Amino acid sequence: MSDERWILHVDMDAFYAAIEQRDHPAYRGKPLMVGSPPDRRGIIATCSYEARKFGVHSAMPSRTAGKLCPHGIFVPPDMKKYSSESKLIMAILGDFTPQLEPISVDEAFLDVSSVRNLLGDAVNIARRIKERIHRERNLTASIGVAPNKFLAKLASDLEKPDGLTVITDENKLAILAPLSVGKLWGVGEVTRQRLESHGLKTIGDIRKAGVPSLRSLLGNQAEHLHQLSLGNDAREVETESNAKSIGSENTFDVDTADEKTLRKTLLEQADEIASELRSENTAARTITLKLRYSDFTTITRRITLDSPTQDDVTIYDRALALFHAEKTGDKKIRLIGISTSGFAPPASQLDLFDTSSEKKQRLAKAVDTIRAKHGTKSIGRTVE
Amino acid sequence: MKLRFAKEKFLDGLQQVQNVVSTRSTLPILSNVLIRAQKGGVTMTTTDLDVGVRCPIDAEVVREGAVTLPARRLFTIVRELAHSDVELDVDDKNVASIQSGGSHFKIVGLPEGDFPQLPKLSGAKSFTMEQKTLKDALKKTSYAMSNDETRFVLNGILLSLKDDKLVVVATDGRRLGLVELDMDLPKDTKGELLLPSKTVSEVQRLLKDKGSVTVHFTENQISFDMDGTLLVSKQVEGVYPNYRQVIPPEAKERISLERETFHQALRRASLLVSEKNNAVKLHFTKNNLAITANSPDVGESRESLAINYKGPEIAIGFNPAFLMDPLRNLENDEIFFELTDDLSPGVIKINAPFLYVIMPMRVG
Repeated sequence: MSDERWILHVDMDAFYAAIEQRDHPAYRGKPLMVGSPPDRRGIIATCSYEARKFGVHSAMPSRTAGKLCPHGIFVPPDMKKYSSESKLIMAILGDFTPQLEPISVDEAFLDVSSVRNLLGDAVNIARRIKERIHRERNLTASIGVAPNKFLAKLASDLEKPDGLTVITDENKLAILAPLSVGKLWGVGEVTRQRLESHGLKTIGDIRKAGVPSLRSLLGNQAEHLHQLSLGNDAREVETESNAKSIGSENTFDVDTADEKTLRKTLLEQADEIASELRSENTAARTITLKLRYSDFTTITRRITLDSPTQDDVTIYDRALALFHAEKTGDKKIRLIGISTSGFAPPASQLDLFDTSSEKKQRLAKAVDTIRAKHGTKSIGRTVE
Repeated sequence: MKLRFAKEKFLDGLQQVQNVVSTRSTLPILSNVLIRAQKGGVTMTTTDLDVGVRCPIDAEVVREGAVTLPARRLFTIVRELAHSDVELDVDDKNVASIQSGGSHFKIVGLPEGDFPQLPKLSGAKSFTMEQKTLKDALKKTSYAMSNDETRFVLNGILLSLKDDKLVVVATDGRRLGLVELDMDLPKDTKGELLLPSKTVSEVQRLLKDKGSVTVHFTENQISFDMDGTLLVSKQVEGVYPNYRQVIPPEAKERISLERETFHQALRRASLLVSEKNNAVKLHFTKNNLAITANSPDVGESRESLAINYKGPEIAIGFNPAFLMDPLRNLENDEIFFELTDDLSPGVIKINAPFLYVIMPMRVG
């Protein structure tokens, strides 16, 4: 069975809070909130497990957390420290396999299929990873072990903290069946509501519904979600070297809520990305918006297009729509960025209402030519 | 309230209304069905605040009254009953007793007064047509609605009323289905009515092959009265794109094709399209149509059909799913495919007031 795949999802437990508790013995065993103080606007980035007992969770407004847990300790986030800690953890993971895909500061996928013979079975590898993280960094991680990424991520979440959960082809259907459809990868709030309003509440319901009846609800997504409901997911662990995204992000010198500034930044980013897509002769189907607020909470929102694009205005429009959907209001933003993924040959499907697509392509080509001669800043769009 | 009814009649009624039931936990009463018993008869009502349905059911009213009960639970209980004769008795605390044969259930309801009323369409205009005609028009077009939430005005169907014509349009920006019906509209009846996709699927389910439907509409609401069964819905807010301008005036080549043969051939060809390369190529040469698909990492397919074609050679790519959608939903044996060149829209027509515009895909 050498073609069997084994994927690990390593998820650090209450990462920011755990680091603070490790470094400050006084915080240990106490409810600790990393984020804005309770007397100010802003939210909790992470909280310790002691705080979770009071009902506090990440992304909760600090004021609410302060009410739920009045004796809790609130500390501001120290992103520099967390990010260097993250590098050390990733280095440990990298010792086990080069097939490593970090997905955020405290989470990564590992494909251990090829190193199994060398290092023992996947569960054994997971156990050794946990041991090393604990011994060398004095932190705990929860690891999910499964035949694919979707199940591995699901597994790591089942027995937090300090968990090690294995999902196999044999038990996957039983584990998936009672879980909420919201656990399916790609089901956001809107899709979840739509599914639930049609009586599809659990992953088991999705499986039983079958592709044809899902298609009327979900369109192109139907097949994909049905596969997930069966516990199938063919996505590869994507290492840095075959990174499959092209993106751009900016951190502001001064945090801002000014929509014009944000729009201008998005437009520049969209422009830069579109240029790069064109120079690589490819197009992207997925557009992801990343926002980091003043309190360092970071969110990403993505949308998958019907057909791949390499057009700056399309990328900008979709990113802006994602931004508006967040209703950030006067919340100050520290970082904004767009990334694109899901590459395919440049859009071949023509649009009925967009007869200018041929013109747009010619314009883009002209812009690329001018830039090649006179530099990137020589020509560009503006927001009004 | 006290009712006696036959299990099947009751289930029929519940089936009509229960799709609309909301699962939004913020307003639990929206998960309930309102049952109202009066001398004139018994009705069931559900709503999710966007769409509401009310239908009459056959039941004997022993005592008048009204109650709201959890719709899905009620449905499963009644479905499982062993006897056909069922008695529903509701006390003044909204607790319902269901008695049938040896089975007895008590379920807790919520008061009628908390249930949101279906909106009354005041000052509405209206028109009436055959249910079958509307059902058929929706079937021929609704598959072309968009699922893309960022193009929300396209997430539904347009009913355009003007000059004694009803035009039913759906599009997702890449293809467009349209049915144009001659109507005898009340004088000066004009309107652009935009139905959300949920409303479209509910109306499609409720429409029958006989009887008539009366449509009432205001600026932002619409209702369908189908022989006593009433559906009321919000309209999609926004302006539908100018669909007229994307219908090509006249095509250079009009090709007659056997619908089923063409459909089958496309189905086979589409077995070899992939996510990366999801086009099939139609290659028209003298009296021949070759349908090919190839995906570098999957394989390729090729199929030839003998057709009657005398025009110039055309090679054009399409998303096979978009080509098959109308073929699956039409009944005519013969369709006409009109083409201009490889980058201009194709049009599928039949010998009836229907057309389908489809944009090609660029193929290498």
